[in-house]
Amino acid sequence: MICCKECLDLLSDYLDGDLDPQTSADLDEHFQDCPPCIAFLNTFKTSTNLCREALRQVDVPEIVQIKMKEFIDQQKQEKG
Amino acid sequence: MSFTQNKETKEAEEALVREFQAGNLDAYDKIAEIYQKKIYALSFNLTRNTMDAQDVTQEVLITLFKKVHTFKGKSAFSSWVYRITLNATYMKLRSKKKEPNVSLEDLLPSYNGFGYQQEKIQDWSENTESLLFANETREVIQKAVDQLPEKEKVVFILRDVEGLSTEKVSDILELTIPAVKSRLHRARLFLRKKLSPYFEEYHSRSEKQ
Repeated sequence: MICCKECLDLLSDYLDGDLDPQTSADLDEHFQDCPPCIAFLNTFKTSTNLCREALRQVDVPEIVQIKMKEFIDQQKQEKG
Repeated sequence: MSFTQNKETKEAEEALVREFQAGNLDAYDKIAEIYQKKIYALSFNLTRNTMDAQDVTQEVLITLFKKVHTFKGKSAFSSWVYRITLNATYMKLRSKKKEPNVSLEDLLPSYNGFGYQQEKIQDWSENTESLLFANETREVIQKAVDQLPEKEKVVFILRDVEGLSTEKVSDILELTIPAVKSRLHRARLFLRKKLSPYFEEYHSRSEKQ
C-alpha cells in the first residue's frame, strides 16, 4: 500500500482527474484505511473551493467601466 | 466568458483580432469588452488594490490598441493578453514595498520516516458554505493568498480562480506542465494549512450552536 506522503503528493492530480486508473485506485485504497488522509483530502478540497469562490467575486467598479468606455471612444475618434 | 475556450469561440475571437488588425475599430470595442473584466480581475487579485488594477486595465487596453499589429498568432490571443496583463501588474508591484512572504516549506505536510502523516488533522470540511457570506472569511482568504510566494500565487490565480486549463497556464507563463502542476499543488497545500486554524474555529463554533 502507498504511504501518506505518496498519497498527498498526488492529491491535486487525483482531484483534477489527471491520474491513471491504477494510481487513482491506489489512492482510494489508502483513503479507506487512513482517516487522517481522508480528513486531509476533505479539508484540501474545501479550502481550494472556498478560495476559488472568494476570489472569483471580483466586480469591475462602475467608474472603471465608464473610464474604459471613454478611453475606447477617444481612441476611435482619433483614428476615425 | 471563460478562457477555457471551445473551438468556436476561439475562431470567432481570431476573426475579431484579424478585423481589428485590419483597422476595424468596432472589433476593438468587442475585444475590449470581452477582456476588460478578465484583465481587471487578474490584476486586482494580484495587487489587491482598486486603483492599481484600474491603471493596469487601462494600460493593457492601450497596449492592445497600439500593439495589436505585433501579435503574430504564435500562441492564442488570450495568452498574449494575459502575458501583457501580468507584465503590467508586476511593473506596478515592483514599485511598491513588499511584505515578506511566508516560507512555503514550513507549511507543507510533515511525515515520519515511513512517510506517514505526523500531524493530527481535524476535518472541518462540513457545513462551510455559509462561510462565504461572511466578509471576514473573504478577508482571511485574501490575506492567505497574498502571502503565497509570487510563483505559486500566479499559477493558483490563473488555474483555480480564473479557471484556465493547465495547458493554457503553461502557455501563458512559458512553464512546463509538470512545473505548473507542482506550483499549483504547493499553493493549495499552503492555503489549506494557512486557513485551517480559522476554519477549525468556525467549525467548532458552529457545532456548539
